[in-house]
Amino acid sequence: MNRRQLLTGMLLATGIAIAGTAQAADPVRIGFSISKTGLFAAAAPSQLNAYELWRDQVNAQGGLDVGGTKRPIEFVVYDDQSNPAQAVRIYEKLITDDKVDLLLAPWGTPIHFAIAPVLEKYKFPMVGNSAASAKLRDIKPGYIWFPTSAIPDKMGVELAAMLKANKVSSIALLSSVLPFSKEIKSFLLPALDKEGIKVLVNEEYPPDVTDMTAMLTAVKSAKPDGVIVLSYPSDSVLYAKQAKELGIQAPFEFVLVGPTMDFFQKVLGSASNDIVTIGHWSPSRKDWPLAKPFYDAYVARYHEIPDHLDSALAYISCEILQQAVAKAGLDHEKLREAIASTTFDTINGPIQFKGVENVTTPTSFLQVQGDKIELVWPASVATAPYQPKTSW
Amino acid sequence: MGVLLSGQLLFAALSTGALYALIGLGLNLVYGTMRLLNVAHGDLVMIGAYIAFWGFTLLGLSPVFGIGFAALAGALLGWATYVCLFRRMLATPALLRRLEGNSLLIFFGISVILQNLAALAFTASPRGYLYLDEVYHLGNIAMTGNRLLALGVALVICLALYLLLRLHVFGLAIKALIERREAALIVGVNIDRVQLVSLCLGFAIAAVAGVLVSTTEQISPFMGFPFTISAFVVIILGGLGNISAGLAAGFLLGALQIYGVALTSASFQSVLVYGVFVAVLLLRPQGLLGRGRVLR
Repeated sequence: MNRRQLLTGMLLATGIAIAGTAQAADPVRIGFSISKTGLFAAAAPSQLNAYELWRDQVNAQGGLDVGGTKRPIEFVVYDDQSNPAQAVRIYEKLITDDKVDLLLAPWGTPIHFAIAPVLEKYKFPMVGNSAASAKLRDIKPGYIWFPTSAIPDKMGVELAAMLKANKVSSIALLSSVLPFSKEIKSFLLPALDKEGIKVLVNEEYPPDVTDMTAMLTAVKSAKPDGVIVLSYPSDSVLYAKQAKELGIQAPFEFVLVGPTMDFFQKVLGSASNDIVTIGHWSPSRKDWPLAKPFYDAYVARYHEIPDHLDSALAYISCEILQQAVAKAGLDHEKLREAIASTTFDTINGPIQFKGVENVTTPTSFLQVQGDKIELVWPASVATAPYQPKTSW
Repeated sequence: MGVLLSGQLLFAALSTGALYALIGLGLNLVYGTMRLLNVAHGDLVMIGAYIAFWGFTLLGLSPVFGIGFAALAGALLGWATYVCLFRRMLATPALLRRLEGNSLLIFFGISVILQNLAALAFTASPRGYLYLDEVYHLGNIAMTGNRLLALGVALVICLALYLLLRLHVFGLAIKALIERREAALIVGVNIDRVQLVSLCLGFAIAAVAGVLVSTTEQISPFMGFPFTISAFVVIILGGLGNISAGLAAGFLLGALQIYGVALTSASFQSVLVYGVFVAVLLLRPQGLLGRGRVLR
């Protein structure tokens, strides 16, 4: 045997060995793109953390139940650079080239919307998570689902109802010009009008706002009962800090995106107390037995609280996929039918889809109360009563 | 209109302006002495912010001490950058001619590397800590402790550097290098040393600015870019390489943002800032306070 033959033989032997082990373990490969860089990079870890926690929990229990047999989960991950076009290419590659068995969702509304046609084209079902827009109902139902209940049109109506119920008769409205904020505003204003709630200040600001002193001086002198800030994480913090500095005294304080994230309470301390925000999940809910264990496992692993919005949604989408696969296996059509027709048992209680939408979880609001984040609206799911904000 | 005369707005304008002045100052030192376009300037701010954050959360170290550590780390990074990357380029006439363009590319690379290293090491999740959040009242002006601290430190550093450049012989050497490079060489200024110190000083000031930022807002590996942009706006408004005019331009930008927004609406913030920026470039390309001298 010459050297080349020996080498070929060895390579062949290793090849067979690798193929052999692969067959013995036979992992389920789950692909997704995540925004590791770019605009969404700071937000995406909340989702990736939940995915990785879920994968390791499932693998520790022997693997993913695929119609009766347990197989380990393996992730195939690419960075989409927060770019929807890049995510489209990645999902095409995951489906056609990597030939993954299952898909998980990317981060954010624009990227969910961008890849929906890809899923439709290859008839590949995927449970979404961190996307919310009334426009998601325009997406052709079939291969994508949205477990969120924080959809702007419902939120506008619910928020107005919550204000009315808590005797807030006038508000100041500050809104970022980013799409999610503007969409909520477009549904909130008519709802406020209908409930007879006066809007004393109505201002918009750019996402790169660095100081709100002028706006907040106007809010302070208007003396509204409530301040509603349709903000993103960085301006949420800016608002709370400057509202504290200027001593804005409105009993109802609503801040859109940020209060459910770990850093918010760390950077604001007691100033974050009693701020109301969006979200439909809280670990305090006793009849959701999976909620608290998820919270505890997340905190133990990452030393921070899960984002009550996006981490919870990401984990929910994994749970839905897991239960659907256990029932239907990996066949795309059977899986699609299973996702579309089953009621799933999640950390957010039972979830069932109709079309693309979650029809079981009510649109709710959370409130920061001490070191807990409680559901305070609507009464049917509330874990604690709403508290007016008395100090910063 | 009463709001325009309020001390609250003045405080906001001052504290915003002081931070801009500080961040512009570091960039101006590096550009002025070496014509290096440091587009990684904001990422040094980010590094400083993380040093303060980890010092505070892991060691319980007050950000006031964090300032010292951040300055040291910034200076070390500046030293490494100078010795490894720029010393040879600055000493070679053929490379010196293309330095401005090349430095832009090099710093762009450094920026990407720093951001991604930070994201790998610390994860991209935003972080923050609570420091000096009591509100103090002076007349009817409300001031949060950390904003006061940031304002104070920024003012002290700006003033110290201004005096150094005016009075100390080393400061004069820096100025000489900024204004007449060849002449400085002829009269015996140790150019290599002045360049090294300027780069270290520029980086250290950026890192200190990061510490100040971290006390007032949340931080993330990708927080630097807006600071880079503001720094460039400031030094171009003031006149590239003109240190004292750059300081004035920092406060001007702060005032422009705060009073501009108060007079119009927050939606006009960027329109105002970049409107003035473009107007200055068109009407006074040497900078608002520049004396119209040729810089090269």
